[in-house]
Amino acid sequence: MTYTISPPPHVKSNETVKRMMWGTVAALMPVAIMAIIFFGLPALIIILATVIAAVVTEVVIYKAASQPITIDDGNAVLIGLLLALLMSPGVPVWVPVIGAVFAIAVAKYIFGGTGTLVFHPVLVGFAFLLAAWPTLMGTTSTPNLGSLWDLILENGAGRLIEISPAAVLVGGAFVLYKRYVDRRVAISATILLLLLLPIVGMGSQLPYVLTGGYFLGLIFLAADPITSPVTKRGRFTYGILIVVLILIQLHFDAYFTGMCFAVLLANALGPFIDRNTIPKPIGGK
Amino acid sequence: MKIATIRTSDQVIIPLQQHDGAVCSSLVSVGDTISVGQLIGDGEFRIHSSVSGEVTAISELPHPSGREVLSVVIKVHDGANVHEGASEESEPEELSTGKIRRIIRDSGIVEPNGRLTLRAKADINTIIINGTNTDDLTANAALMTNSPSEVIYGLKALMKTVGAKKAVIVIELGSAALQVMRTETIPDNNIKIIATPTYYPPGTENVLSRKFAGKKVPRGSTPEDRGVLITSVTAIKAVYDALHGTPMIKKVVTVAGAVGSPGNALVEIGAPIKHVIDECGGCSGTPVKIIMDGAVSGMAQYADEVPVIKTTTGILVQTERDINREPQTPCINCAWCVDECPIGLMPHLLYGYADNAQFDKCAELYIGDCVECGLCAYVCPSKLPLVQIIRYGKHGVAEIAAAEMEVSE
Repeated sequence: MTYTISPPPHVKSNETVKRMMWGTVAALMPVAIMAIIFFGLPALIIILATVIAAVVTEVVIYKAASQPITIDDGNAVLIGLLLALLMSPGVPVWVPVIGAVFAIAVAKYIFGGTGTLVFHPVLVGFAFLLAAWPTLMGTTSTPNLGSLWDLILENGAGRLIEISPAAVLVGGAFVLYKRYVDRRVAISATILLLLLLPIVGMGSQLPYVLTGGYFLGLIFLAADPITSPVTKRGRFTYGILIVVLILIQLHFDAYFTGMCFAVLLANALGPFIDRNTIPKPIGGK
Repeated sequence: MKIATIRTSDQVIIPLQQHDGAVCSSLVSVGDTISVGQLIGDGEFRIHSSVSGEVTAISELPHPSGREVLSVVIKVHDGANVHEGASEESEPEELSTGKIRRIIRDSGIVEPNGRLTLRAKADINTIIINGTNTDDLTANAALMTNSPSEVIYGLKALMKTVGAKKAVIVIELGSAALQVMRTETIPDNNIKIIATPTYYPPGTENVLSRKFAGKKVPRGSTPEDRGVLITSVTAIKAVYDALHGTPMIKKVVTVAGAVGSPGNALVEIGAPIKHVIDECGGCSGTPVKIIMDGAVSGMAQYADEVPVIKTTTGILVQTERDINREPQTPCINCAWCVDECPIGLMPHLLYGYADNAQFDKCAELYIGDCVECGLCAYVCPSKLPLVQIIRYGKHGVAEIAAAEMEVSE
């Protein structure tokens, strides 16, 4: 009789990277469906085209580099979907497609693929598009919380993601519960931001923050497991840093884009935060 | 909770190493007829025969640690396997400290973590008994529900020996032993029962000391230095047995997983695990893995003739269905391992550095503090073999330290 031997543990959790990625994609489905219903065909075309562009780019690049193709882990789909949701429904469809190619080719592949990223590929792609075609990337309206009904269906939505804060929060609650995004970053940043705004005398900006774009940014982009720091203290610090950067951007009335650049800047400081917050083991001095 | 008594195996294999330390020297030779309870190995601690019979071989045989260790093989004679303990009954308060200490030492009592119960003379103030159950191993709860007064007797004797003022018995909430032990300790003001929510790993000494005695243990020292002695239900019960004339020759072991009738059984030290599994209803389905001591941190066995030793707490049988063979993917820095580590280490960094043989970095990140509980590898969504690689890293760090010693000499 022969037996299998292996190092412990002999039981493992069912969670895999694949489940994390596809789970996050599933969590974005409510808001994506809402966007398609209310913006109609353009939204559907943008989402499909961007996701396909991201997946195809990944296949082509990994094939050319003779590396194992890992599209089934859902990371490329997630990047494509997130980027599509940041677009305004009136954008020409080739814009997010180029953004997806750039996100996968430059921000993901060149930085070493899933897991080793410094900057969130979606934010890199978004920043690239914003710099390259600022007029095309503009929106026709800026959402803000006029009435409570706006939490369910925002009528001033300028981007797909802004259509429904409630739908983003439903998906956000799911990923937070499953730990597919980092709880410390998402919760500390959201609460701190909402508390600090009135305190620093920017309470008038509050309606602009309670929108789908901000919830997406704080839960799905800032708390992304790959680009956020890993130490416990570091993740709190990171959340605080993001809030400070957002406040600075808000001061200059940069709403959604300001949040994106705040997270992107914080990404750059992530490794630095990690290096300086290595914990001491129990009993350490 | 029932503790089954199983038939004695026809042949027992008693390894001469059953604790963390050097192999004992054998006191018997091939052909000797020995009786149950007879001393057969001596050295840092003592090993007794668990059966009466004839020594048929003394050779290197498979050991639960995965190595081959010098072992005494005894062919069991029919009948006459009952050990006659001493009949005198005295309260622990009446025994002299020196006598208890000597008896504990002579009876070869080993904690489940491989250490001796009384390591060094230290000023002990509190004794913590870890009565929680690891994974699905319920031997601790079974022992406490079946023989609560013996456990308390053993505890009092140990308290007297080391001069401890108080004792704490840690039991998880919902355990059957909780009510039994609470009732049993009503007359004793200095023995406290603490009910704790389940946490993992329950046996980490420094964590126990901090959680239940309020004594933080600095790095590099042991709980004993802070006046805390950590022991186990098994060892305490063995102390009771020792004071009644029986050395550590039997052990309650949980048999779990894919077996006919899982549960706890009183097993002779040295019984091959195949025999124990067969006595507990045999394997149901094709066994693929046999694991000693729990699913998360236990040791997979390559042979089923490996014997039960003094540190064994359980035998787990897994079939193909129980085994997760998800492929390994790169680390994504999700920090789940950092959140889970009970020691507060950075498992994924240790993994990365050890995997690339950067042992100096491993040492900087306190790789030596890792208790190998296996939680990081359990939660890892990338299915990385963290424990294995961290062990490799520890080995590398030790080698560098040894080389530096040589240079400086």
